[in-house]
Amino acid sequence: MNVALSDAVLLGHAAFGVAGSLAALWVFVEALNARSQNLGRIRAAAWIAAACIVGAWICGGYWYLHFYPAEKAVILAGPWPFAHNVFMETKEHLFFVTAILALLLPIAAREPLHTNATARKLALCIAGLVAITGMALEGAGAVIDHGVKIALLQHAR
Amino acid sequence: MPAEPQKLPASTAGFVLAAAITVIVNTALACAKDAYAPLKAFMKSVAGHDWTTQGLFDLALFLALGWIFAKTGLAGRMDSGRLIAMLVGAVAIGSLGLAIWFAVT
Repeated sequence: MNVALSDAVLLGHAAFGVAGSLAALWVFVEALNARSQNLGRIRAAAWIAAACIVGAWICGGYWYLHFYPAEKAVILAGPWPFAHNVFMETKEHLFFVTAILALLLPIAAREPLHTNATARKLALCIAGLVAITGMALEGAGAVIDHGVKIALLQHAR
Repeated sequence: MPAEPQKLPASTAGFVLAAAITVIVNTALACAKDAYAPLKAFMKSVAGHDWTTQGLFDLALFLALGWIFAKTGLAGRMDSGRLIAMLVGAVAIGSLGLAIWFAVT
């Protein structure tokens, strides 16, 4: 098995992104039933979501700066240039939105969600937005990946 | 009798407002640097890549505005429900704005 650094970093980016989105979904579900007994779990899940998204930021940023230029050239020469022009351009900037929301989540989860309905609504909104934008980013990543694949396969078919 | 709506503490409200502003500024900056090459070149010169500069700028803006709003209590005086709606609206506008901009240009 030969796993290059670029592959490990890219898969780490995707894995951290999925884990962060799932942790945000965990916060959402726990916050729906916020009680004094699950406040600790809510706060732990919020910190896990933030840490995972920061991990996705570091891995994704390293890969984007060091390895993506070669794939970008392949995509632009292939039949799906929009995989870069639309999906990657949107993804690389939308990621900052998800990251800011993920960093906000532990701040919102500090509040007593079981007694403050407004704070609970805030935590639900932030957790939901992290999960939704996180999944959108994963989907965009799949389109970008497919853009590379069909560019490489276009002469082999 | 319906319960009185509860407010968010000034520190939390401050970072919510900071996040809403940062999301909109992020989209505006992404569109501006895409449309104006000298801005992109300047951002590249700051941290080696325009994307890196934008990420650091967004993070610094969020933390600085959050700290300022928390200290001054500005966001804490706003209606908490409206503040949450502002955040959700900012994320919707910012996200769709990015997608539409890069799909059209």
